[in-house]
Amino acid sequence: MELPHGLGFTSLQAALILALKLMRYAMIALEFVGDMVIYFARTIWYFLTGKLNYFLTSRQMSALGVNSIPLAMLVMGFVGATVSYLLAEELGKRGASAYVGGILLLALLRELIPLLTGVVLAGKAGAAITSEIGSMRITSQIDALRALSTDPHWFLTAPRVFALLVMSPVVGVFAGFAGFLAGYYMAFHKIGLSYAAYTANIAYPFVKLSDFRGCLVKLLIFGAVVAIVGCFMGYQVKRGAEDVGRAVTNSVVLSIVLIFGLDLLLLPVLF
Amino acid sequence: MLKVEAITASYNDVPVLDRVSMTAHERRITAVIGSSGSGKSTLLRVIMGFIKPSSGRVLIEGEDICSASEAEVARIRAKMGLVFQESALFDSLTVEENVAFFPIYHQKRRWRQVRPEVNALLAELGLGDIGGKYPGELSGGMRRRVALARTLIYHPRVLLYDEPTTGLDPTNIATVDDIIKEMNERFEVTSVVVTHDLESVLHVADWVYLLDEGHSVEVGPPKHLLTSDHPRVVRFTASWRKHIDAFRKLPHTPISGVAGSKDDK
Repeated sequence: MELPHGLGFTSLQAALILALKLMRYAMIALEFVGDMVIYFARTIWYFLTGKLNYFLTSRQMSALGVNSIPLAMLVMGFVGATVSYLLAEELGKRGASAYVGGILLLALLRELIPLLTGVVLAGKAGAAITSEIGSMRITSQIDALRALSTDPHWFLTAPRVFALLVMSPVVGVFAGFAGFLAGYYMAFHKIGLSYAAYTANIAYPFVKLSDFRGCLVKLLIFGAVVAIVGCFMGYQVKRGAEDVGRAVTNSVVLSIVLIFGLDLLLLPVLF
Repeated sequence: MLKVEAITASYNDVPVLDRVSMTAHERRITAVIGSSGSGKSTLLRVIMGFIKPSSGRVLIEGEDICSASEAEVARIRAKMGLVFQESALFDSLTVEENVAFFPIYHQKRRWRQVRPEVNALLAELGLGDIGGKYPGELSGGMRRRVALARTLIYHPRVLLYDEPTTGLDPTNIATVDDIIKEMNERFEVTSVVVTHDLESVLHVADWVYLLDEGHSVEVGPPKHLLTSDHPRVVRFTASWRKHIDAFRKLPHTPISGVAGSKDDK
């Protein structure tokens, strides 16, 4: 690369600069992951040492978890009905309509419940966490907590992370029921499938106990991811409403990307 | 007693305080004045232990908060109370819950024990009937008083006020000034008021320091603000002195027909 006035980079120098930039990005990413791990470790520490405030946690379980159930049920209802429609059409043509319920439940447990519950929680609970903590940052409420000798992680992060950790499976169960029942409703209207036929082939040959376990593990992990990312992004807010808006967007986007990425990584481990 | 010794500190990598020193004597009200960006709020953050200075010490009753461990900082900090510029009340909690925050969450006391104290303190500050309201429903003056109550509930030895009168109307400014003086006497605290409101300083302060471009100047008693010939003090108070001179030269004769003049009585 030749520059005016005789200044120039050799290819070695250019490679060095690129390597340094990549190292810088890697350092930022590592710092980011490290911070998240510390957040999670602190939450677990508060829980293990009995310092977790259960009153604050129960408030967050209601605000973040219970309030997300209707939306998760609605979303999963639509998805369950859509997948059931497609399955009923294709399997009905091949005389295998009795497998609609089993295949739908398998899809729900392995992918749809954890993924879509995670996405709903990211959009609703994660965004709420980031905007609340971000607003607290710019109005000095976080400093006020410290001034009152209160660790903000104890008061804000730990109850939210623990609340979503507990509530994400609960939200997932409600969402799963909604998806499965909506699927039945659609199969009944599309090909006249009875409830008995819809549920007849669930246990064998499709759904196994490990599918339920895998679903639970994913829900726990995705719930924790949403809460940790939400808190972390909220703490990154430095000034003004614009910064809060940006943090909320980043929080939702990063949570969703991490959920889908982790879903892929967990696939060979869980199933 | 609060003693700041040769503090040098930066905020977001920008040097803000340069060997700043000050002493707030016991049960006295010390004012720290200065224009915006002079480092007043950073000084408060250093005193509270939110920022570690690059050099210097902050002694609170003889204990240095700058060199203390995290656990010690929390203990030393509990001796101090900070009333924030914009009150910084917790939006999601009611006024009662805000005031009871320290006893409930730090001292782990029960709500039924704390509640009578909270209500008594609110009543003392003229806020008797707003315990169930949320901060968003209160006026600026009320929020300042609730923030003060949230701090006074745990009887701090040192009380720090960050711009307590900023954004208030003249009536509320006078009320807040009176409360600062009254609380200082009643609770026997050492008060530090950070402000750029010179009239408030004249009203409440026993001793004044000026922060200018990160440097501290000991002004002395508030009346020295009008007479000091220190270049930094003269520069900071120039326009205020002009206003006072102009006001003194005004003819103070009653005007007929103006509300409040003698002719109306």
